[in-house]
Amino acid sequence: MSEPLLEFEHVGKRFFGAVALHDVSLAVQPGSVMGLIGENGAGKSTLMNILGGVLPPDEGQVRLQGKPYHPSGPADAARAGIAFIHQELNLFGNLSVVDNLFIDRFPRVGRTPLIHRRQAAHRTVEALAAVNLNVSPKTRVDRLTPGQKQLVEIAKALHSGARIIIFDEPTTSLTSRETQQLFELIGQLRRDGRTILYISHNLGDVLNLADEITILRDGRVVVKGPKDDFDVDTMIAAMVGKQIDQLYPSRKGTVGDKVLMAVSRVTEPGIIKGISFDLHAGEVLGLFGLMGSGRTELGRILFGLDSYRSGTIHVDGRMQYTRSARERIRQGVAFITEDRRAEGLLMEASVADNMALVALPRYRRHRMLGTVDRRGLGRAVDGVVKALKVKCGDLRTDVVKNLSGGNQQKAVIGKWLLCEPTVCIMDEPTRGIDVGAKYEVYSIINDLADGGAGVLCISSELEELVGLCDRILVMSKGQMCGQFQRSEFDEERILTAAFDGHLAQPSQGQSGVSN
Amino acid sequence: MVVLRNVPILMFLGTFVVFGLLSPRFLEYQSLENIAKQASYIGIIAVGMTFVLLTGGIDLSVGSNMYVSAVAAGLLMQRSSISPVLALLVCLGVGLIFGLVNALAVTRLHIVPFVVTLATQFAGRGLGWMLSKSRAVAFPQSVTGLGAAELLGIPGPILIFSGVVLMAGIVLTRTTLGRQIYAVGYGSEAAHKAGVNVPRVQATAYVACGILASLGGFISVAQLGNVNSGFGEMVEFQAIAAAVLGGTSLFGGIGNVFPGTVLGALLIQMVWAGLVATRTDLYLQPLIAAGIIFIAVLLDSLRNTILARWERHNIRTEE
Amino acid sequence: MWAIRLKETFVRRVLLSDSFVLFLTLAYFLVLWIFLPRLGSVRNLSNLSSNVWPLLVLVIGQMFVLIVGGIDLSQTSIMAVTSVCGALMMTSSLDPELFAKNPLWGTLISEQGGLLAGSAMATPAGILVMLAIGATIGLGNGLAVAKLKMPPFMVTLVSMFFFSGLAIFVSRSENIRNLPASFLALGQNYLGQVPAGRGSVGLVPYSFFAGLAMALVAWFVLARTVLGRWLYAVGMNRRAAAVSGVPADGVIVCAYAISGFCAALGSVLYSARLGAGRPTLGENVLLDIIGAAVIGGISLFGGKGKVRWAFYGVLFFVLLDSSLYMMNFKFYTVNIVKGGVILVAALLDVLRNRVRAGRTAPGRGATA
Repeated sequence: MSEPLLEFEHVGKRFFGAVALHDVSLAVQPGSVMGLIGENGAGKSTLMNILGGVLPPDEGQVRLQGKPYHPSGPADAARAGIAFIHQELNLFGNLSVVDNLFIDRFPRVGRTPLIHRRQAAHRTVEALAAVNLNVSPKTRVDRLTPGQKQLVEIAKALHSGARIIIFDEPTTSLTSRETQQLFELIGQLRRDGRTILYISHNLGDVLNLADEITILRDGRVVVKGPKDDFDVDTMIAAMVGKQIDQLYPSRKGTVGDKVLMAVSRVTEPGIIKGISFDLHAGEVLGLFGLMGSGRTELGRILFGLDSYRSGTIHVDGRMQYTRSARERIRQGVAFITEDRRAEGLLMEASVADNMALVALPRYRRHRMLGTVDRRGLGRAVDGVVKALKVKCGDLRTDVVKNLSGGNQQKAVIGKWLLCEPTVCIMDEPTRGIDVGAKYEVYSIINDLADGGAGVLCISSELEELVGLCDRILVMSKGQMCGQFQRSEFDEERILTAAFDGHLAQPSQGQSGVSN
Repeated sequence: MVVLRNVPILMFLGTFVVFGLLSPRFLEYQSLENIAKQASYIGIIAVGMTFVLLTGGIDLSVGSNMYVSAVAAGLLMQRSSISPVLALLVCLGVGLIFGLVNALAVTRLHIVPFVVTLATQFAGRGLGWMLSKSRAVAFPQSVTGLGAAELLGIPGPILIFSGVVLMAGIVLTRTTLGRQIYAVGYGSEAAHKAGVNVPRVQATAYVACGILASLGGFISVAQLGNVNSGFGEMVEFQAIAAAVLGGTSLFGGIGNVFPGTVLGALLIQMVWAGLVATRTDLYLQPLIAAGIIFIAVLLDSLRNTILARWERHNIRTEE
Repeated sequence: MWAIRLKETFVRRVLLSDSFVLFLTLAYFLVLWIFLPRLGSVRNLSNLSSNVWPLLVLVIGQMFVLIVGGIDLSQTSIMAVTSVCGALMMTSSLDPELFAKNPLWGTLISEQGGLLAGSAMATPAGILVMLAIGATIGLGNGLAVAKLKMPPFMVTLVSMFFFSGLAIFVSRSENIRNLPASFLALGQNYLGQVPAGRGSVGLVPYSFFAGLAMALVAWFVLARTVLGRWLYAVGMNRRAAAVSGVPADGVIVCAYAISGFCAALGSVLYSARLGAGRPTLGENVLLDIIGAAVIGGISLFGGKGKVRWAFYGVLFFVLLDSSLYMMNFKFYTVNIVKGGVILVAALLDVLRNRVRAGRTAPGRGATA
């Protein structure tokens, strides 16, 4: 066995008394892929930030090729050959691919400060070829797809001679095809002798890609070893620290007959066409589709954030005339967006203020003056926080951006629960949160349905929908192209429907699928 | 679509045509030359402002900068009769120092540019008043002579403006520093992570703006002959308007000096000159000028919204 | 930048406290009083007081706009235009030599004054018209920002040019005097007298009541009503607020309308004090408004701001202004010092944020 390229020796890190990492030791072999797994807050990011030169370790040390490694900053780490491909990409949308690649040092014309454009373009083409990306160097980066942008970042890393590349949740915004391309690229990088650290919540992907796997929990290494030692169940158990008998809580209630939301032939040219379905009381209805299927857009249209050309939407029997989120909220519809940071929460506000936001109009003491019934509101918020088990310090002073992803998501859901919605549309409800929190969110969804509400769950994670829903609708290219009852759930068939856009076998009972 | 992407040029042509039709005098060579001359001094300052706006900052102190630099140069000329060239250097030097103060406050003290340049605007004006004892400072013939100078029939100010635009354009499009300015404007955190020396880039923008402000001031003085206590007031707003009309975003990362800011500066001057040529009531002029600028900014905002909506209809699909 | 490690000391608690600027003001006052006993004289305090309230009204209006993440550069021109319009309505006599060329001559104004000349309702009606104009202009600004999605800086900048031009247009650059006594009383008279030096001086200026009323209303709206919470939400994240059912457009329009209203109210107070409708009213006040807001701690980025912060900021600014003139500084030096003070205030704000951040979750390390 060769010398490890990278070693962490008893690395520790504290933040104002709280332990982020404790006695973390691990070794990465050159030319291999190391999968790094752990819940949010387990310490993965901190460890990688130390490697990337953003933070110094408090205890222990890091060795690169046997020699001590103390980067003074990210630039230093880059010079040492370590590249960090973050979830939020570090590219400049307003600049071209060439500019992005050479932003810290362009090739110059002789001694003048002028950029040698031809050289720069030429080298860019070479760099792009190394990642199989076929776009013109002059393309503005904001015109590229997320997958292409990621490839540009990888190209940039390779171009600056990165020997170690860290991937942090790289597949979140990629289409399936782009994900395949990424995996192929990682395979190739490995063959070329580069070393990869791959962080992901997608345990299946990690099992696929990695040579070795390390699992962190609460800042410590719980278990590490070659990939053959692991399977999904053992990984989850190690991450969470206890056996989770099932990932998905069992449903108690049954689907009722009352139709809470009736959608009929809703069309918006270029986005969705002829969408029809019914959402019943007590039902968890899944909506599955690949990227570009129009699933998120449909959610936004149903909630009244975006307009539609034709078709009707009825909530609780009442036709919705206006394109107005406020109107929908009054009718009892809730909408949890896919991006909680941008649209779900006021990051700088307290947990209490965030959770009170939608229900505010219901807690008016005087209709005219608009004074807030603070006591009543406070009690309601406290109640929901307790019910959802949102972990935070003081509700009224703790700022929401300091909460973990899972607690943030619970805060978003709690905000809507205060309005006692009858129809709940959720777009990617468990994005970016760890396994333990996911289970809690699934329980909340179940409780909602059991209480008589209808939940429309839009998600790109098929396994999640299969485990959670009573019925799954499939969308492809803006149209409804399949419907599956729980009894006929079959991941392969559902996925095929999403890809082919063919009509799946229509089933008896519940409303049919439109053309 | 094409319309929306080229608002500055279209506004420019539109205004030109409208005023040309309303008053033929507008189209006379002398009138057009005057417009270009007047636009030159605002234009130079607007180019400096463009640099700062591109980095995502703003400089409200250019007016006071102009004033202090001109006063300093003027007083020096009065006291020790130095050559006009030396006076220009002094003027630029003061502008540089002014810009440096802004630069340090923004990059080292981490104070928001709006507040920094608001404060230096206040303080700078006061400093200028203190030096000049609030009296007008006259410039000798040697300088005003320069103001009227021409080379090959083209007035000096226009030549200098063209030179400034050329250099600025090259820096922004063909040098590392220029590209880094756009990067910092897009996101200073991202720029830092990419290895860009963000404080240095920002400082350069503010210093350049300071120097260009004092240069613009000197050129203006060379035409006016003296500097009174209100010199340069409101100039910052004209410079910002010129840059924004030319397509520079107040949020940073978007914009260019040619054709952008040049068109913007010319557009503003055209509006003023057109109003005079059509003999509009003196008191109505600011109203109409404001109205035209409002329409330009409105068109720009509409462009943003419509483009965003159009892009929404072309979402990515799985292949 | 250096890292400041302050332990749990008195200094730290003072630095972080909400009333920091108030403490600063008091400290400044006390220190200066030692050198300038006249500072604490009744006459001077009365003078200070009458400067505070009009500025407070303006800053409160600006605060609403700052909270929703915008800025209102047009407040000064709203002051000018309402001053002129109100005066033209209320004036009881106009000199034809000065006003004959006025566009309104013969229609709305004449030698006998304006529409309301001599009427008993002149003052209240005139004030109402002024407030209505201010609110309407503010409404227009708000609509442009909210519905047309134009950047607040540019909208209010253009507004500023337009309406100051309009003020000059409507008045032909002339000041308009001969305003009703009841109107002038608002700016010049006091409730009660207090002995001072060789005579006596007013105790409570009428402008105090306007300031107090505005402050109370503003506090009530921001702290106790749904609208208040909506204002903060929109300022923090407009998209998230809209998704959560906040009528973001309406809220923004409201904020700008309030700012316009406050500008008009300030104009009432200033015009009354000066005794005339002036087309140049408010010319140099914009920087005082923003300066006081910044010193008070109201964030330029939106989502933060309280009425008492506005009050502390105005208090400090007015005290600074007055004390500098008292120390016989020339007006240009006063400008330089004001500029420096704003810088220091902003610097202190940066420092306070650093110290505050030292207590919370992990920071980002070496980056700026």
